Amino acid sequence: MTYLFFSYFKDLVGREVTVELKNDLAIRGTLHSVDQYLNIKLENTRVVDQDKYPHMLSVRNCFIRGSVVRYVQLPPDGVDIELLHDATRREARGG
Amino acid sequence: MTVKSGARVLPDVFGRFLTLSRIVALKILLKPLVYSLCTKGRTGMATEEDSAVKEPLDLIRLSLDERIYVKLRSDRELRGKLHAYDQHLNMILGDVEEIVTTVEIDDETYEEIVRTTRRTVPFLFVRGDGVILVSPPLRTA
Amino acid sequence: MITSYTRGRSETGEELKLQLYHLTKGGPRPLDMEFTGIGHQKLLVLLRDGRKLLGLLRSFDQFANVVLEGACERVIVGNLYCDIPLGLYVIRGENVVLIGELDLEKEELPSHMTAVPAAEIKRAQKAEREATDLKGSMRKRMEFLDFD
Repeated sequence: MTYLFFSYFKDLVGREVTVELKNDLAIRGTLHSVDQYLNIKLENTRVVDQDKYPHMLSVRNCFIRGSVVRYVQLPPDGVDIELLHDATRREARGG
Repeated sequence: MTVKSGARVLPDVFGRFLTLSRIVALKILLKPLVYSLCTKGRTGMATEEDSAVKEPLDLIRLSLDERIYVKLRSDRELRGKLHAYDQHLNMILGDVEEIVTTVEIDDETYEEIVRTTRRTVPFLFVRGDGVILVSPPLRTA
Repeated sequence: MITSYTRGRSETGEELKLQLYHLTKGGPRPLDMEFTGIGHQKLLVLLRDGRKLLGLLRSFDQFANVVLEGACERVIVGNLYCDIPLGLYVIRGENVVLIGELDLEKEELPSHMTAVPAAEIKRAQKAEREATDLKGSMRKRMEFLDFD
């Protein structure tokens, strides 16, 4: 188990992200929490393509299983490139 | 935990002592190894170890901060600058272009229509379980 | 760590003693997944095969295994929908895509959608399935003509 992305996402708590799932559903919301499996909990969610997913209309908060995530669109100022490079090199040496 | 009979006390204590001494022995054995790992980290980036390609993921380490090509499941391709990865091939890419190839079937002629859609994303986390291949940048020497 | 949870009355009023044991073995707790108000909160569970289950959350664990009480499946075909009652469901975590808390202040579905009886939604579902199957099989039949 690696902690690089777990810690990265923990630092991102409170920020707006868009989670794109493997079933093509894309949900935008505030990152509420994340765990070691990269399960994600979002708050104040809205589905990007609302018309295609009417059943999601009244969902405000949700838990997303990490294994069904395809992408997470990150806020541009939420990426410290230097920090990521260092953490990745450290992880590559350790793993 | 309660000990039922006196006879079990002795082996128990003895066993614990054995375990303890094992741990001490292990620590002594591991010390030089741990030390060498630490000093390796301190010698800087451009050492021989850093550029050596011994296993597949070493090649990806060398692509850090470079533009790479990633082929994903469900007919998706990405091009972007690699900022982070781990052994699952989870990644963070920057300035990403995604190309999705879809095949639709025409309602009347039943012909296959191949479409590609492109989009760009500033920063993208990619979950490793969807990755088919990663190609480092072409080095034109 | 073993925690047990005993419950007295179910939604339907019948006596139901439900004991759930969570064996977490002291491992790292995955996520503070305490959904506010276990037992009152209406949830939407999306499954990997696209099914949508609704119900009251009874239990939830680190694998995203879920116990739904008074569960029903919401079948949506175009602008028609129907809630088919299922009962008490234990859902294995690996089939779960998403668990959503429904905002009771908001409408669950857009106003242009109409509820229909189970028989009708099953007909609509079948028709939709046949239409997509036909598309695939027609393409196969036409293949010998070689369009290219």
